[in-house]
Amino acid sequence: MNGRVQGLAVWAAALAVARWLPGALWKPLPPPPFPWEALVPSGLAVGLLTLLALVLARAWGPAATRSTLLRLWEAVPDPLWGVAILALRPASWGPPGVGAWTAALLVATLPGEVRWLAQALPAEHPFPAAWGRALSAPWRSGALRRLAPDWLAARLPLWLTATLVLERLLNVRGLGSDWAARVEVRDRDGLSLWVLALAGLWLLASPRGRSAR
Amino acid sequence: MRRLRTLLGLCLLLALPGPAEAQSPVPRVVEESFQRDPGPLDFIRGEGLEQFILQALAGDALVGLDVQGRPVPRLATSWTIHGHALRFRLRKDARFTDGRPVRPEDAAWTLRAIQATREASPTKRAILANVTVSLAGGDVVLDGPKPAARLLVELARVPVAREGAPGVGSGPFAPARKGTTWTLAARDHFLQPRIAGFRFRLLADDLGVLEALQKGWLHVGVPPARRDLRPPPGLHEVHQAMHAQAVLWSRRKGVLPWMARWREDAFPQGFLGGRVRPSRGLWPETLGHPPMRPTAPLGARPARLEVHYPALDDMVQKALMALRARAARDGVEIEPRPVETALFYAQLGERRFETACTVVLFDPHPWAVLDYVEPEAPMNLTGWTHPRLPTWLARLETPEAPAWRELQEAWAADPGALPLLDLTSLTWVDDRLEVQPSPLGLYFTTPGPCGWRWLR
Repeated sequence: MNGRVQGLAVWAAALAVARWLPGALWKPLPPPPFPWEALVPSGLAVGLLTLLALVLARAWGPAATRSTLLRLWEAVPDPLWGVAILALRPASWGPPGVGAWTAALLVATLPGEVRWLAQALPAEHPFPAAWGRALSAPWRSGALRRLAPDWLAARLPLWLTATLVLERLLNVRGLGSDWAARVEVRDRDGLSLWVLALAGLWLLASPRGRSAR
Repeated sequence: MRRLRTLLGLCLLLALPGPAEAQSPVPRVVEESFQRDPGPLDFIRGEGLEQFILQALAGDALVGLDVQGRPVPRLATSWTIHGHALRFRLRKDARFTDGRPVRPEDAAWTLRAIQATREASPTKRAILANVTVSLAGGDVVLDGPKPAARLLVELARVPVAREGAPGVGSGPFAPARKGTTWTLAARDHFLQPRIAGFRFRLLADDLGVLEALQKGWLHVGVPPARRDLRPPPGLHEVHQAMHAQAVLWSRRKGVLPWMARWREDAFPQGFLGGRVRPSRGLWPETLGHPPMRPTAPLGARPARLEVHYPALDDMVQKALMALRARAARDGVEIEPRPVETALFYAQLGERRFETACTVVLFDPHPWAVLDYVEPEAPMNLTGWTHPRLPTWLARLETPEAPAWRELQEAWAADPGALPLLDLTSLTWVDDRLEVQPSPLGLYFTTPGPCGWRWLR
């Protein structure tokens, strides 16, 4: 329960910042319209990311944290994936859109999420690794099932808002661009709604009765 | 048989694809990009560059401006000036995109709605401040404190909407939005557009615009400001002198004369890829003002100066770094300090700064500089005033009025602001597209985009 109270206090502080954000524009601009059309692609992208991260974490296990491949994959800065997709796309295909953005988002964020999950998994040596794969696989699945809500609660707001650079590069008006545009034009009402929505998602994703476990 | 083979060979030759130039058909629609979402088309509340581009394409103001910035007929076929009053006669053949004819009542409604709506565009509200709007004998009559010549030019920025429908205009292109793409299709209009239309996509990132230009996904676009960047084959550069400057204000006495001295040799040849040139005078020469030199004597040399500027404004940052290097030769340390854009403008508005620098885009007429000198004007950030100011302001009826000279001399003796750089816009345009460059930009003149055409 303590964790939930602390979390709500953080969200309340975020709401206060959004409400009383200082600054003004020389000539005030009206807030941008909310990109409703981006909700479904963002939801699908986040769903796909969740699924792939869990599958990879289950297959790789805690050993992923020591993997050179994962380290190399993580070392590439996120915008570089966007630039690479943009540069490699044949001119005749026309400008990229949501598909290219989803691909860039997945390839950029997957290694970090796999590492997050792998580091949070309990150690498997000597047991259950000694009992063989038949027993260690269900052990890992169970651990991931308990871990997933915490992981989603911690990372969901980040995924929904941190895609700004890829959106800018790949010509996609998404949730990250919307958030940034509202900060830029000081749309305090819109930002407050954003914080409330993210707090709601956090509440939905965060596990109940954490203290009882 | 030989003749048959020759004939077959000739047929085969004709069937082969020709050179690449002949293969690529002339596009119908001009592909363009917006840096930010313009929001819904709204002739009353809409504000910002992207929204004004949409309005210029989808709407008609009473008057337009030609490439030299002179007023020309648009919705109004003619106008008369009586003192400060302007009387407009509207054309009969103008129609809104929904097919209804444009009436004088629509023009009057639009202007009054801008005046009465608190959330209306600040730019348009400033243009129409204290202006009375009336209808007389089928004409639209405007009267107010501003010189009629000034109001006439400013009205080119106020397109007319249909009464009760702020999103419906009568312009040469009919707008439609789908996702992040705006399309504007040419329609039957008195300016007779010669291209089929525009497609604007949202491309917020400079790098994204550059990639799109290089891959042929855009026909018109502004490349990033890099010194050695050249347009790829198929595109050419279009330079347009703009009514824009990077301007410096200082609330500390004696700073601007030193800055005026340093700006003379602070900026190397080809600085910022030729998009700028060092300002010579105090007010923009593109607006018709003579190059004035500050006549205030150099005072005590400041030891250190902190200059605030909007964060992420690369051009201002580079200009300040060049100025810093020059000032260092005189033993003065300039410390450029980036401030988040909205916080920066809040500081300017509340006069909480010592020295500040930002880019200013002037309205396209000589009176635009009065924002520096009029009390409470948005660019009078240092409280500049003069005992004879009210007399001069009352006598600035025309751009040639002698009072301008007296005002310029007073300003040069104690300037409230100093321009560092005059800005030039650099745009890459498809070789097959003929456009009409102007200090107002590509979209804000009449006929403007209606005069563009694809070259065959």
